[in-house]
Amino acid sequence: MAKVELKQKQKTEIEDSSSLKGTLASVFLLGFFIIITWLSVYFLFVDRF
Amino acid sequence: MHMHKLEKVWLIFGISCLIIFLTTIGVSAFYLGNKPPSCLLTIDPEKVDQQAPFNKPGLHKVEGKEWDYELVYVASAFSYNPGQVEVPLGAKVKVIATTKDVIHGFEVAGTNINMMLEPGYISEYTTTFDKAGEYLIVCNEYCGSGHHLMFSKIEVVKK
Repeated sequence: MAKVELKQKQKTEIEDSSSLKGTLASVFLLGFFIIITWLSVYFLFVDRF
Repeated sequence: MHMHKLEKVWLIFGISCLIIFLTTIGVSAFYLGNKPPSCLLTIDPEKVDQQAPFNKPGLHKVEGKEWDYELVYVASAFSYNPGQVEVPLGAKVKVIATTKDVIHGFEVAGTNINMMLEPGYISEYTTTFDKAGEYLIVCNEYCGSGHHLMFSKIEVVKK
């Protein structure tokens, strides 16, 4: 016979999403890329006449 | 409002970058007085040849101004007048240019002198020629069938 599964106690694991380290790393990666390209264009402009 | 600690970190980082970049532009424009090459100066494009300084294109020494020389160019399809100019090394020069017919470009390749010449408007750029060498001026706005043949030369020489 089929078992009624209503009484089975199974916990669903919830992934811990509060860590934002990866997001921080990617934000800074993009940030530094923008800063480096901005600075290189700026210094190119300053260096030329 | 709850905000994650790291979220605050990158928000502060991003906002301070924005402030620094915008301040740089603000200082350049309002303190150093940098402006677009074509800035409110107009001329009748049909009478370019009769009007000063375009009646005498070329390099002229000037007195009592912030710059030592004025380098005047008249562009027309498909050439620049003058075709070749010698500039002394270290001279502070105001490049003044306009066009007689259609829109032309005025790019001194490898330098910051890069202007658009529009009929009816005068474009100017002041700079110090502090690197010797031969510089090619090219048209970088498509102006017609001879566009690719349009060029001029600046020689920066030690005197």
